[in-house]
Amino acid sequence: MMKADGNLLATEASCKSCPLYHAAHMKKLGVDMEDWDYVVALAGNPNTGKSTVFNALTGLHQHTGNWPGKTIARAEGGYAYANKRYKVVDLPGTYSLLAASVDEEIARDFVLFGQPTVTVVVVDATRLQHNLNLVLQVLEITDRVVVCLNLIDEAIRHGLRMDHRRLARDLGVPVVPTVARSGVGLAELSRAIHEVATGKIICHPYRVQSEPPELKQAIKTLTEKIEKALPDLPNARWIALRLLDGDERIATALRKGELGDLRRSTVGETDSPRPADEPTEKALVEEILASAQSRRSTIGYNVHERYVEAIYTDAARLADRAVTLADEKPRFDVDRAIDRLVTSRIWGFPLMIGLFAFIFWLTISGANIPSAWLSALFIDTICPMLREGAAAVGLPWWLRGLLIDGMYLTVAWVVSVMLPPMAIFFPLFTLLEDFGYLPRVAFNLDNIFKKAGAHGKQALSMMMCFGCNAAGIIATRIIDSPRERLIAIITNNFALCNGRWPTQIILATLFIGGLFPSPLAGLISSAVVVGVTILGVLLTFAVSWFLSRTLLKGEVSTFSLELPPYRPPRFWQTIYTSMIDRTIFVLWRAVVFALPAGAVIWLVANVHIGNVSLAQYLIGFLDPFGILLGMNGIIILAFIIAIPANEIVIPTVLMLIVLVTGAGDVGAGAGVLFEPESESTLKPLLASGGWTLLTAISVMIFSLVHNPCSTTIYTIYKETGSVKWTAIASLLPLVLGIVLTFFVAQLWRLLAELG
Amino acid sequence: MPDPLASLTLALAIILFLTVIFWPTFGLINQWKRHQRTSIRVLTEDALKHLYKAEVEGRGATLQSIAGTLQIGIERTTSLLAYMQRGGLVTWEEGRPQLTSVGRHYALHIIRAHRLWEYQLADQTGYGKTEWHALAEHREHELTRDDVSELSVKLGHPRYDPHGDPIPPASGHLQTHGGKPLMTLAVNQTGHIIHIEDEPETVFAQLVAEELSPGMDVRVLDKTRERIVFWADGDEHILAPMLAANISVVPLPNADRSKFFNTEHLSDLKPGEQARILRLSHFCHGAERRRLLDLGLTKGTVVEAELASAGGDTMAYRIRGALIALRSEQARLIHITRLRAADAP
Repeated sequence: MMKADGNLLATEASCKSCPLYHAAHMKKLGVDMEDWDYVVALAGNPNTGKSTVFNALTGLHQHTGNWPGKTIARAEGGYAYANKRYKVVDLPGTYSLLAASVDEEIARDFVLFGQPTVTVVVVDATRLQHNLNLVLQVLEITDRVVVCLNLIDEAIRHGLRMDHRRLARDLGVPVVPTVARSGVGLAELSRAIHEVATGKIICHPYRVQSEPPELKQAIKTLTEKIEKALPDLPNARWIALRLLDGDERIATALRKGELGDLRRSTVGETDSPRPADEPTEKALVEEILASAQSRRSTIGYNVHERYVEAIYTDAARLADRAVTLADEKPRFDVDRAIDRLVTSRIWGFPLMIGLFAFIFWLTISGANIPSAWLSALFIDTICPMLREGAAAVGLPWWLRGLLIDGMYLTVAWVVSVMLPPMAIFFPLFTLLEDFGYLPRVAFNLDNIFKKAGAHGKQALSMMMCFGCNAAGIIATRIIDSPRERLIAIITNNFALCNGRWPTQIILATLFIGGLFPSPLAGLISSAVVVGVTILGVLLTFAVSWFLSRTLLKGEVSTFSLELPPYRPPRFWQTIYTSMIDRTIFVLWRAVVFALPAGAVIWLVANVHIGNVSLAQYLIGFLDPFGILLGMNGIIILAFIIAIPANEIVIPTVLMLIVLVTGAGDVGAGAGVLFEPESESTLKPLLASGGWTLLTAISVMIFSLVHNPCSTTIYTIYKETGSVKWTAIASLLPLVLGIVLTFFVAQLWRLLAELG
Repeated sequence: MPDPLASLTLALAIILFLTVIFWPTFGLINQWKRHQRTSIRVLTEDALKHLYKAEVEGRGATLQSIAGTLQIGIERTTSLLAYMQRGGLVTWEEGRPQLTSVGRHYALHIIRAHRLWEYQLADQTGYGKTEWHALAEHREHELTRDDVSELSVKLGHPRYDPHGDPIPPASGHLQTHGGKPLMTLAVNQTGHIIHIEDEPETVFAQLVAEELSPGMDVRVLDKTRERIVFWADGDEHILAPMLAANISVVPLPNADRSKFFNTEHLSDLKPGEQARILRLSHFCHGAERRRLLDLGLTKGTVVEAELASAGGDTMAYRIRGALIALRSEQARLIHITRLRAADAP
């Protein structure tokens, strides 16, 4: 193994001294791609390192994970090579291009209609046979293809010998072995792309041969007809196949002349679509369609299925020719050994629980210190400076209040509570993800989730939700079954996020732990917080079960879970991308939403109607409703104001209590959030606001079960693109929370009366 | 503070009220929908369907058979038929209602809408097999001719609905599936299931539970008055004649008998064992079937069970080099023949 790795590096070194080496010609352009000479489409199976190739070519940092299905939205970037500018489009990872799912349709349409100059198919060398399915389909659609044989280092590690020259000869297109994560082979890849784009290499792509005879005959006759009518098409055979499969999208495209763009002769040029306006051509097209339709009814079996079988038969043969097992098989298969351990009946769950307990412990205990620093910096140091500065410049009091006491302070609060746990939790989680452990967790937990009508991968999006619900929503992208993904999205909110943990912990400590003598108190309050978390998990299961049998019954459900090979995580890069992608991204959205919330907090406390502040007016209005739920108007108002950021619920409650009761010596003024000196001052303050044990319990329940924060709601909308699902995901937990707290409160009072 | 007992009572009353309105079976909304279903137009269309099917199957419809199918009284049926006669949809000949060509054309549209909708439910949604019929029964009355042609285009002009009934063209004639009852096959005779009738619902549900589906090859093993034992695509089934009556077959007298052996399922494999795939059960359909095919679970593929999940049920298989986890109910739908270690490539 070592020797093989050494060889690879040696090859790389000798390449650099080779006169053909073009690395110097290569310039990464990131998203700067105003105009371009060529368009490169990146296709590939899920989890083949497609995004890594994309990042390596463009210098961008799209998040890549050891997960099938990372790229949902189409990513674009650019690079320059030999004075030509290339635009790279990263397509969703798919197993096939037969347009059976939305992802496949996006990828297929881009390769077919998007007019990429070159299509690069990224292939996982360790699973060549599996991946050739897609390659062979792409080769049917377009001539100009480069196969990027990625993860060649892993193939070597697994004892596979790849004959990429033979594969290239067989496929009739350039095949470039690469290790995209360490940049090996990328210069050769860009050169191959360049040569195909400029027509220096003319491809003679392989066509599938193993169709059953009747189908072959039907394809042949129809292909000849198409070639006669439209001699410019490079993919007449493929169009014939799609017509025989009843693909109406292709029939329409043929009618409209949209397929004319793919003419062989116009490499790189982008003509406008040529409508099939000549009457003869139009008649010919109609004749082709009619002939396809009549043949369809005589073939008498499922064309789609026979074609998939034919492709895989060919893929197996081609892969056998290109791959040989090394003579000495690795004596000890590390991957299998790890897999046996982490999925074993005895060790699987204890290992998982231990690992996640460790991560949560590290997050909670590790976040306290930087949180305190940030709070000291933003709130105790910068805030007074800003106030002085504003006073010195002579800003009017209301503007100072709105900007500094309202907006700045709220954002500072959110950042200091939210940033440290996320900056610890997300990178740790991402490391496990990159290594490949998380799919095994989904695999182990799948049976439990299956019983609730959900997907094992929901365990992971839930786990992300414990960090931040918005990030958890994005994480549901890994669930490739539509019904189960919606379930995961709608139930996300039952996983306590880091904006709600502090609320739970502080209330459990003050009101429940406080009932017990000191040695027990800590234990009891931790148990209560764990209990609330478990209640959330149980609600997730219950609501998932309900949804899968009612509202979501009609959504398509296709379970499959690929367990990718383990890959040593790249530590620093993971930390970097998870910081950029998850932490900063989520934080930025939270800040955007916290700014107006800060303004609202300050305004409700400072705008007066007559002699009464707006806050007092609203509190009076909400009070009866709040009391019905075991809470009060202040708390309900705080929950409403805190829709943008759950971490400010308790600070807002405290500020409002001071505002309403006028408790003298605490607080920092109307509309100014503050933190009490210690727990001993906090409880009397809450008590002066009318808090009892029931209030605390109700707030804990309601904090667990209410509408998601606005960042999350916005993310749900972005991810589902549907107002209906966004509304259901927002209102369902709210209604459930109201019902739950109502019954708890009323039963509590009833029992208190009886007792 | 409101009295807890009073507010609890009020809340329970509200919940009761909402239940009465929204409950899926006896709820008011559902009852109202059901009432809609007996509107004159819906009854007309259902009667047309019945008349046309009876005509094609050559068993002429009567007043009684219409009343029975629509589940309405004789009196109401009489006035319904009078209404249809005024509309030029039926005539009376020899004391029996007969379709006019207008009525036949109308009936064809409804049947086409029903079968296309069932195809769409099977192919593009997650509804269970037993739910298709009722949903299509409702939907057929809402689709216009344009909707139906659009649907046909979108689905790629399918020719058969998921039960094996031919989907008629927009104009033309209704074809029958042309099969004969499974019970008519003699012991040891072979055939091919081309149709499974989806009514009555309880009977169909039992056939679904047996995982029977059109497209399967069958061979009758034993037949008595009380039951029929037959082989279908690798598994043996025992059915009461009443259930078997819903299955139609075409005889395959020259079938290759060597194919008719009992097979194992992928779910029978234990970690470390290898097998070759014989077929994907015809019971597996739509998006799920396409996904399994795309994952490389095609005929002839060699797979190895590699890992059992710690939580049970889900098993990971090595398929063409990739490690892919499937649930037991999915693995059940894949027929295999086991490979001994020596046979493995």
